[in-house]
Amino acid sequence: MLTNYQTGVYFDEMMKQDGAPKRHYQWFYQLVNQFTERDLMKKHETAQLNFLRQGITFTVYNHTGGTERTMPFDFVPIIIPRQDWEEIEKGMKQRMTALNHFLEDIYHDQEIIEAGVIPRELIENNPYYYNKQVSGIDIPLRNHIFLAGVDLIRDEKGQYRVLEDNLRNPSGMSYVFQNRYVMRQVYPELFFQHSIETLEHQLSELHQAVTSHLPANANPTKAATAVLLTPGIYNSAYYDHVFLAQQMGIELVEGRDLIVKDDVVYMKTIKGLKRVDIIYRRIDDDFLDPEAFRPDSALGVSGLLRAYQKGNVSILNGIGNGVADDKAMYVYVPDMIRFYLGEDPIIPNVETYFLSDPERLDYVLDHIHELVVKNVGASGGYDMLIGPQSEESEREEFKKKIIENPHQYIAQPTIKLSRAPAYQEGRFYPCHVDLRVFVMNGEKTNVLHGGLSRVALKEGSLVVNSSQGGGGKDTWILTESGDQHA
Amino acid sequence: MLSRVADSLYWMSRNIERSENNARVLSVQLIHMLEAQNQEASDRDWEEIVEVCASAKDYYSLYDRLDRETLIQYLTISPFNVNSLMNCMNYARENARSTRDILPEELWEVLNAFHLDQKEWQELPNTRQHTQDYLDRVIKTSMTSQGVIESSMSRGTPYTFIKVGKWLERAEKTARILNVTCEKNRKEADVPTDHYYYWLTALQFLNGYDAYIKEHPPTMESKHVLSFLIKEGTFPRSIRYCMDHVFEAVNKLEDGKISHYSEDLFQMLELIQDEITRTNIEEMDMNELMSFLDHFQDRCMTLSRMFSQTYYLIEPVHVK
Repeated sequence: MLTNYQTGVYFDEMMKQDGAPKRHYQWFYQLVNQFTERDLMKKHETAQLNFLRQGITFTVYNHTGGTERTMPFDFVPIIIPRQDWEEIEKGMKQRMTALNHFLEDIYHDQEIIEAGVIPRELIENNPYYYNKQVSGIDIPLRNHIFLAGVDLIRDEKGQYRVLEDNLRNPSGMSYVFQNRYVMRQVYPELFFQHSIETLEHQLSELHQAVTSHLPANANPTKAATAVLLTPGIYNSAYYDHVFLAQQMGIELVEGRDLIVKDDVVYMKTIKGLKRVDIIYRRIDDDFLDPEAFRPDSALGVSGLLRAYQKGNVSILNGIGNGVADDKAMYVYVPDMIRFYLGEDPIIPNVETYFLSDPERLDYVLDHIHELVVKNVGASGGYDMLIGPQSEESEREEFKKKIIENPHQYIAQPTIKLSRAPAYQEGRFYPCHVDLRVFVMNGEKTNVLHGGLSRVALKEGSLVVNSSQGGGGKDTWILTESGDQHA
Repeated sequence: MLSRVADSLYWMSRNIERSENNARVLSVQLIHMLEAQNQEASDRDWEEIVEVCASAKDYYSLYDRLDRETLIQYLTISPFNVNSLMNCMNYARENARSTRDILPEELWEVLNAFHLDQKEWQELPNTRQHTQDYLDRVIKTSMTSQGVIESSMSRGTPYTFIKVGKWLERAEKTARILNVTCEKNRKEADVPTDHYYYWLTALQFLNGYDAYIKEHPPTMESKHVLSFLIKEGTFPRSIRYCMDHVFEAVNKLEDGKISHYSEDLFQMLELIQDEITRTNIEEMDMNELMSFLDHFQDRCMTLSRMFSQTYYLIEPVHVK
């Protein structure tokens, strides 16, 4: 099946340069070779239909409204040997600890600014820094990051690097579970020979993490009531919200289901009002409370911030986290790790230049065809330029935008993103992949086994975002050791 | 349970029931049409179909005259008719989607499958066969949904809201169909027409022909049919059956206790039951029957409003 497969100059997750599979993919490789082409086509189709039928969709916004789409699924899993995974886990815990310290610090004492590690204006000018609203608030467990979705990539040497810390409303966890579910249904053969870390219990870990954020004024004699706050069925990640609420057994609420009275949050039930203690919100800060943020928000709840400030309700993730996962602040995360923990980062960043630095700016303008340029405020693959794949006109347009507003952009060298085989339209071909790792923090920290592997299914494309045609893969962490010398 | 969720479940259920009932009415009519004796009679039949499945007022606000093909389109897939099958099924799916976390997975899948297929249906040529297949699909989807609900939902609060929506919708539809049939009977009382045919149609509209014929071998007395569809306690689409079950459901929701907030609702339920029991169909003429049915439809609307108010399904008016 994979006879004509070329790894090229890229690091490949599965194949060696000589065309043989790596050791930890051996079993998988042999099994797949036993499938006929017809089997594969059939299985592929069944898997895609499964997602459609179950309505596991995300919404793509366009000028005519929203269209529901399923995320294409690719059956070749990303297999991570035990030892590599342990390194990732350690790295993630370290990074999240530092980032959480940072958030607590800049909304309280601001030691990191006093020490001159991070320039004050970078924080104060950040549009997601909500000093006025949340500084000085003591939040439960002093934990701002209940759930992070950290995007990792591997460079041409196979080194994992952090691409983005998503500390606001990271989505995609439901896909991890659904990918595994569909994989088991459609490719049961593959599971016989492998010992893979199970995903069971992970949602109860998540539930525990949610409920451990008890607000200061919660009634200690009653079990806490936690809810998941969604913008509603038209939100692109609505399926994610449904899945998580259902699996954790908490109520899925919309803004209009909640009301704040005397700084206490209640939900409207058929038997009257019921007090809410913990809100896992999937609504952005800006829309959370029209009284405190955007007055035009119809999704939020008036008075929510007052209830939060008084310790009557917990809000997860914390308000104001955006200042820490900003593309500009990203550059300073290794410094945060050194400053707060006195350690060196376990998983490095991708080298990044600020364009506000005039010397860098000149360099970037000259070398734009080799670089990736990103808007520090944008996400989801929007407003970015991939130099080597761009047209002359796009580069000129970006240069103009950068010169007009250099603070708004950063640049990174184009990394030879690792690849893995994908099976689409009857053949295997190499596609770029990345990995979103989910870190859950409550009384303890837990990293979801594996995470969501995303794949840029369009041949040659570097963009793995589902809104830009990316797909998903199952991610396996092997439970046995000994396979790491692949 | 959240009021919004309860409201969605209630309306999901009403929408599914409504589309099933309307699909059946339309399907029966399409077959009768083939045997209609003259154009005039056939057109009159279609007038009644509009009254049963939508509202004549709404239809004539869009179109000048009753054209059969336009009407079929209007009742099946028209986006301009809030009660078109396509709209009802879409509302039901949206209702289910916003309550997915508490519904059985298969229920969502059944409604979603209909939605996914519907796109293809709309592109098929508009033939009689195709329309009948579409109607059949609507009916089967409703029946499958009910099967999933019955076989996999706990008999808790969400289940109860679904059932109340279904029974209220059903009771209202039965009354509507009977009302239209009585009206026709009254109008043509002097003409020696085939009344047998009207009552047979009413039974078919309500999927009650087989059940009725077992009780009343091959006669089609209007009193018998009316009595069967209004008061028969064992037929699941009779007005009495539906109202008995609404009463039972609310009673269960409240653990048999009447509280200050549910007092009005219980009183209304008892009143309606009482009115049905006291009605002596055998002795009523068509005018009296029609006013009974009109009155009952008003009661249904009041009841639906009271039910919604009792469980905060309607956003309460803010007092400033």
